[in-house]
Amino acid sequence: MIKPARLALLITAALLVTACATPQKKYAWGTYDHSLYVYYKDPATAAALAQSLQATISAAEKTNAIVGPGIYAEYGYLLLQQGNPTAAIDAFRKEASLWPESKVFMDHMIQAASGPPRKAAASG
Amino acid sequence: MQHISVRLLGIAVLLILGGCVTAPPKANFTQFRTENPRSILVVPAINKSVDVNAPDYFLATISEPLAERGYYVFPVNMVRSVLADDGLNDANLVHSGDPKRLGELFGADAIMYISIEKWEAKYVVLSTTVTVELNYTLKSSHTGAELWHNHQVVNYQPQAASSGGLGALIADAISAAMTKAAPNYVPLAQQANAQAINTKGSGLPAGPHDALYLKDSQDF
Repeated sequence: MIKPARLALLITAALLVTACATPQKKYAWGTYDHSLYVYYKDPATAAALAQSLQATISAAEKTNAIVGPGIYAEYGYLLLQQGNPTAAIDAFRKEASLWPESKVFMDHMIQAASGPPRKAAASG
Repeated sequence: MQHISVRLLGIAVLLILGGCVTAPPKANFTQFRTENPRSILVVPAINKSVDVNAPDYFLATISEPLAERGYYVFPVNMVRSVLADDGLNDANLVHSGDPKRLGELFGADAIMYISIEKWEAKYVVLSTTVTVELNYTLKSSHTGAELWHNHQVVNYQPQAASSGGLGALIADAISAAMTKAAPNYVPLAQQANAQAINTKGSGLPAGPHDALYLKDSQDF
């Protein structure tokens, strides 16, 4: 039988340990920050950045996790730069439906991507 | 034994009540609270350091902490490219522009302007100090008013000069030289962001995607 004072001490100690723990993340980010850093270090690695975003998205979709704001859009933009406007538009639509706050920007980008194939990001 | 336990318990309770950080005096959130922005557009940072890569490396660190605080954060790399394609690849130009115009273009509630004041490694005697200093300003894209600002300085000293004789001194010098050759600023930027955004009283109030949205007026 544990003495009440001792029990209280144990509970408080447990609280102390958890009190400063990092709160659980809201979103699935994969390696977004690191991959972006690597890409800025060497802009030739754009394909690797796209791949890592795609991996983050498919892993999240499999487990019903929500990817962080901007992830679908970043992925879509890289697809657009790779000359794949259809897949890009699909990603922009996903961003807009997941995050209504992005709708103005995404509509803008969808329109630009749907237009005649001129310079990819001429969003004007 | 019982007495010691009780005393320890008292100390522990005090520690819990004290929390993890001491809160600085509460900043003024009047303007912020009148607007309660839902979305934040982070534009490329102004660079006052000599490291030309600092703004890009910094950009990679900022989305996650802002989004985890509960805000919609526009895709930083895409925004950077779209601005550059529109002839706005000079951060100074973007920062001096009208936040309302940017807000219209992107449909953003607020614009985050960050200035990199320091991003440097200084070699002094046997140790290197790595410093990241940042200024954060959030402006309303509806009124142009400043909603929030914060200033952070984070230092890192890989190894303080130890007392262990010649061997240790040589080890310190090597460690310092290596840090100077390839300083890693990213963890410092991450720490600065976390302190700027998450500190009670001076950070950003919880955003609309957080359970505490509009319920944390005691702290902010």
